[in-house]
Amino acid sequence: ANRGGKQKKGNVTSEQEEEEQPLQAVLVADSFNRRFFPISKDQPRALLPLGNVAMIDYTLEFLTSTGVQETFVFCCWMSNKIKDHLLKSKWCRPTSPNVVHIITSDLYRSLGDVLRDVDAKNLVRNDFILVYGDVVSNIDVSQALQEHRHRRKVDKNISVMTMVFKESSPGHKSRCEEDDVIVAMDSKSKRVLHYQKTQGLKKLQFPMNIFQHGSDEFEIRHDLLDCHISICSPQVAELFTDNFDYQTRNDFVRGILVNEEILGNQIHLYVTQDGYGARVSNLQMYDSVSSDMVRRWVYPLTPEANFTDQQGQGCTHSRHNVYRGAEVSLGHGSQMEENVLIGRDTSIGANCHISNSVIGNNCTIGDNVVLDRAHMWNNVHISSNVEIHQSVVCDGAVVKEAVRLNKQCVLAYNVVIGPNLSLPEGTVVSMHHPEEEEEDDDDEFLSDDQEVGHTFNPAEVGPEGKGYIWKASMNDTEDEELAQCLWGRPLSKQNVCKVVSFQLEVLGTLQRGLEENIVCDNLVLEINSLKYAYNITLKEVMQILTRVVLEYPFQQQGTQLTTLQYTGSLLPLLKTWSPVFKNYIKRAQDHLDCLSAVEELFLEQDTHQTAMVKVLMKMYQLEILEEEAILKWFSTGATNDKSRQLRKNQGLQKFIQWLKEAEDESSEEGE
Amino acid sequence: MGTSILLVNKPVDVLQKKMELQAVLMAAGGGSRMMDLTYNTRKPLLPVGNKPLIWYPINLLERVGFEEVIVITTKEVQKMISTDPKMKLDVKMKLDIVCIQEDAHMGTADALRHIQQKIKTDILVVSCDLITDAALHEVVDLFRAHNATLSMLMSKAHEFTETVPGQKGKKKTGEQRDFVGVDGTGKRLLFMANEADLDKGLVIRKSNMRKHPRMHIKTGLVDAHLYCLKKSVVDFLADNRSVSSIRGELVPYIVRKQFSKSMTSPNVNDEADQKLKKKDGNANVEIKILSRDEALLQLTRERSCWNDHRGDMSEAYHGGRLRCYVHIMDEGMCYRVNMLAAYIEANRLAPKLFDEPAVHPSAAISVRCLIGADSIIGASCQISDKASIKRSMIGASTTVREKVKVTNSIIMHGVTIEEGCNIQGSVICSNTVIGRGADIKYCLVGSAQRIEPEGEHTTAYYCLTLPSHTQVPLTSTLSGNSRVAKIQ
Repeated sequence: ANRGGKQKKGNVTSEQEEEEQPLQAVLVADSFNRRFFPISKDQPRALLPLGNVAMIDYTLEFLTSTGVQETFVFCCWMSNKIKDHLLKSKWCRPTSPNVVHIITSDLYRSLGDVLRDVDAKNLVRNDFILVYGDVVSNIDVSQALQEHRHRRKVDKNISVMTMVFKESSPGHKSRCEEDDVIVAMDSKSKRVLHYQKTQGLKKLQFPMNIFQHGSDEFEIRHDLLDCHISICSPQVAELFTDNFDYQTRNDFVRGILVNEEILGNQIHLYVTQDGYGARVSNLQMYDSVSSDMVRRWVYPLTPEANFTDQQGQGCTHSRHNVYRGAEVSLGHGSQMEENVLIGRDTSIGANCHISNSVIGNNCTIGDNVVLDRAHMWNNVHISSNVEIHQSVVCDGAVVKEAVRLNKQCVLAYNVVIGPNLSLPEGTVVSMHHPEEEEEDDDDEFLSDDQEVGHTFNPAEVGPEGKGYIWKASMNDTEDEELAQCLWGRPLSKQNVCKVVSFQLEVLGTLQRGLEENIVCDNLVLEINSLKYAYNITLKEVMQILTRVVLEYPFQQQGTQLTTLQYTGSLLPLLKTWSPVFKNYIKRAQDHLDCLSAVEELFLEQDTHQTAMVKVLMKMYQLEILEEEAILKWFSTGATNDKSRQLRKNQGLQKFIQWLKEAEDESSEEGE
Repeated sequence: MGTSILLVNKPVDVLQKKMELQAVLMAAGGGSRMMDLTYNTRKPLLPVGNKPLIWYPINLLERVGFEEVIVITTKEVQKMISTDPKMKLDVKMKLDIVCIQEDAHMGTADALRHIQQKIKTDILVVSCDLITDAALHEVVDLFRAHNATLSMLMSKAHEFTETVPGQKGKKKTGEQRDFVGVDGTGKRLLFMANEADLDKGLVIRKSNMRKHPRMHIKTGLVDAHLYCLKKSVVDFLADNRSVSSIRGELVPYIVRKQFSKSMTSPNVNDEADQKLKKKDGNANVEIKILSRDEALLQLTRERSCWNDHRGDMSEAYHGGRLRCYVHIMDEGMCYRVNMLAAYIEANRLAPKLFDEPAVHPSAAISVRCLIGADSIIGASCQISDKASIKRSMIGASTTVREKVKVTNSIIMHGVTIEEGCNIQGSVICSNTVIGRGADIKYCLVGSAQRIEPEGEHTTAYYCLTLPSHTQVPLTSTLSGNSRVAKIQ
C-alpha cells in the first residue's frame, strides 16, 4: 500500500523518497556454531570482550558510522544476556542515531531461519546490510551501497547482493585457513561468477560455463578476505523463504550462482583496499583482530576512543601503543613493552614483562610475570612467576604461582590452575565437564547446573586447580572440529602435521594392539587404512613405523632409561611386532630404508648407540632384515661424519664381521 | 619504390651490436587459412600496401636496430625475392635466408631446430605475417628485466569492420577462445590454454594462487607470434624432437613448467642437476630450459630488498627460475595477416605505417582522373581518364582504363581493368583481366582470370582451380575455403 501511494506522485518523488528511506541493517548476534565452546557456554560470542569492549559494540558502531539508522538484532543463544547488554548500552538511549530493535527467538537454528523471519515479519523495506555480531570493521560501505543501488536501478533488480571484501594477500595473519575463499569475477561488471572455500583443496576448479557471459576479462582472486558484510536487497529474504534448504550465506551464494540461469539473479562484490573488516570466527582470528585493534588498524575504533561511551572505560594512549585505564597500578621494574592495553583498576606487581597483550578490568597480576600475546579478560588473578604465551584467560580465572601457559591455551570462566604446572600447547580448561555438553544438548540454556560425579584431576590442573581439560580427541568428528577451530588451524603446516598425526595414530594403534592383544594382521590392516587416510607413501609408513617402535620404550617409560633397560623392553616388542615389519619390508630398497630409519633414530639418541647392534641383531634373527641389506647399508650408507662415526662402534663392527663370516660359511656350505 | 623512409619513433636500440638477440623470421608458412589468396602468391609475398607482406616484420626489426635477420622460408619465395622486381625488399639489413623444404611439413619449432647451429644467443622469433606498430622494446625489456625464459607480444583482438568478399553477413565467431592468465601487474604470464582443452573446467593449483593471488584471465587477445626466447630453449628443442610448433606446443609447455616442482625448488643446485641428468634423460631435458641466473645476478638479488611481488616475505619470483612474460598492447595496431578479413583490414591500415607517396612516381596517371588520398597506386601503373579510385590499393603494372570506378578494393599486380568497370569491395589477384563494363561487388577474383564483359557479380569467389564456364547460382553463399569458379 505504501508503495502504491508513492507511485501516484510520480517517478521523481518516489525516487527521492527511496533515497531518503532510512538505511536498515540485520545483525545476527549468534554464530550458530560451537567454535568458541567451551567459552561460549557461559557467554554468547557477541558479548566476548575484544580490547575490553564486547564484540557486538564494534559491529553496532560500524553500522552506525556507515549510516545505518535502524538495526534489527537477532539473538538466540543466551538472548537475555545480549538483550541486557544492549539495553544498558548507548544504542538504546533515546539520542541514539541508530534505532536498535532486539528480536529474540529460541527457534533460530541458522542464518536462513533469521532471514526467513525477516521476510515473514516484513521488516525490511529496502536494501539492507547483513552482518554478524562478531564483525569488526571500519569500512565505509556507502560507496558499495551506491554501486549496489546503481546496479539495481540499471539492471532491474537482477543483482540481489553485494559482498564486501578486503584486499589482503594470502598468508596475512588476519586470514585463517577455514575462511579462505577464492572468487572468480568479471573484471568489468564486478560480478561474482564463482565463490568457493578453499580449505582442504589442492586444486581449484572453475566450470567453463562461468566464462561464457560475453565478457572477455575475468579475474581469479585469492587475495580477498571475506568481511562477512553483505548488502542485500529485500529479495534476499524472499529467496531464503523460497528456498527453505538455504541455511548459511554460503548456501545462498552457491545457490544463486549455480541457478543463475533459472532465477536470473546475480551477486556482485565490492573490494576495499584501505578499510578494515574481519569476522572473529575463531580464536586465531580473535588473536589477530585484537592485536590489529591495539595497533590502531581499525581507526577510529581505538581503545582510547571509548566509543561505547561508558563511564570509566576511558584510557590513555602513550607511545608504542600502550593504553592504560583509570587507576592502573604498576609495580617497580615492570615493563610494558608495546601494544599493551590495560583495563581500569588493574594492579600489576613488580618486575613484570608485558608485550602485545590485552588485560581486562579489575585484574591482579603478581610479581615476575611474563605475558606475551595474552588476552586476559576481567577479574583475572595471576600469581607471581607466571608465564603466559598467546593464550586466552577468561573472566574470573585464577592462575596460581609458577604456572606456565604455552601457546594457544584457553582458560574458560572461573577456572583455577596451579600452582607449579606447565600446560602444554593447545590446552583448553573449563569448569564445564566435556561430557556434560552432551547431556544438556537438548536444552542449551541450562548452563549453570552442577557438575556432579566429576572430580578435578590435580595432574591436569594442578594441586589447587579447578576445571576440566577439554581434550581434542580425534575420534569424535564434532570434537575434531573444535580442536582445529578454537584456534583456527595455522596456515601451511599441513604436510608436517600430516606426518606427525600419522605417527601418533600408528603409536596409538600399536599401543592398543599390546593392551588388547590384537593380532598383527589386524594391526597391519589398521595401519594401511591410516596410510590412505593421511595419504602417506609406503616409504614414509615404514620409516614412521620403525621410529615409533624404536621409540616405544621411551614413550612408555620416559627418556631417562638406561641402555640396558631400553633393550630389555624393546627386544620383546620387536618380536611381537615382527609380522608387522615383515609386511612392509619386502624389497631390497625397503630394507635399506628401514635401516636408515634405525640409523637416524640412534643418531638422535646418541647415548643409546650401543643398543643399536642389539636391535639390528634381533631384527636379523627375526628375519626382518636380511644380511645382504645390512652389509650393503654398512658399506655404502654413510653420508656424513656422524654416520661414519656411528659405524666405528665396536659392537657394530663385530656384528658386521660376524655377519660376513656367517655369509662365507653359508656360501661354503652351499658349495 | 624510392628511398625507404623509416619511421623511427623510439630511440634506436642497438641490439645487434652487443649481439644480445638474434632475430629469426618465420616465413615458410603457406597461408592455409586463406588459400584463395595464396594459391598463386606465397603468403610472405602477398602485397599489402604495395609491399610484400614479409617487408613489414623486416622493417619492424630494422627500425629497432637489428642489422641481420635469419629468414626461414621456401626456395620459391627466395627465388621470387631475389629475382622479381615487384617483390624486391627495400631493406638495408642483411638477410640470412635459410630454405626449408616446402613439403616437409615442418612446424615453427622444427624450423628452429633446423637452424640450431646458427643460434649463438637468445633469439627473437617473428612471424612473417605480423604487421604492427608495437614498441618492440617493451617485449625485450620484460625479457631483460626479469631474465625471463620467454616473453611474447599479444594484442587486443580487433573487430574486422570491412565486408569480406565472398561472405554474406557477419561470420559467426565460432572459434575456440584462448584463455590467457596474467598476474596483477598484467605482465607475468601464468596460464595459457585453449577452450577446447578445458573440457574439465579451468583448473589451477592452490599453491599457484598463493603465489599469484590475483589472476586476470583474458579471452579476447590475439597472439602476435613474436617471442623472445632464451638460447637454452633452442637447445631444449634440439633434444626434444617431439615438439614441432612454437605456439601450439612449446609456449604452453614453458608456461606450465613455471610451476612444476623441480623448477621452483630453490635448493636445486648444480650438483642436484647433475644427479638428475644422470637419473633420466627426461629431467635432463627439462632442466635445460631453466634460466640459469648468473652468479653475480643471484648475489645481487639475495642482497637487495627488491621483490617482484607483495604480500609475503618469500624471495623474488618465489624461487622460481623459469619465468614467462607477456606484453599486451592496449592500443596501436597489431594484425596477423592469416585470414582474408585480416588481409583486407591490413591493406586499409598498413599505408599509415610508412610515409611513402601514395602514388608511385613511375605511374602514368591521367590528369582527368580522380584518386582519393586514401589510395595507393603502384609503380608503372596506367590510369586513364575519368577513372575514379577510392580507398583502394592498385598494384604495380596495372592498367586501369577509362571510366572505371574502384572503391574499397585491392587490385594486385599486373591487372588490366577495361573501360567502364565498377569494382567495389573486392580483391582482384595478379594478372587478371576484367572485361569491359563488368560490375564486381564483394568478389574475390583469383590470379590470371578473365572476367567476361558486362557481367554482374556479387559475393563470389573466382579461381583457377575449377574449369571455366561453370555456372553457380548468383545468390550462392560460399563459406570457408570452398573455391568456385563462376563465369557468365
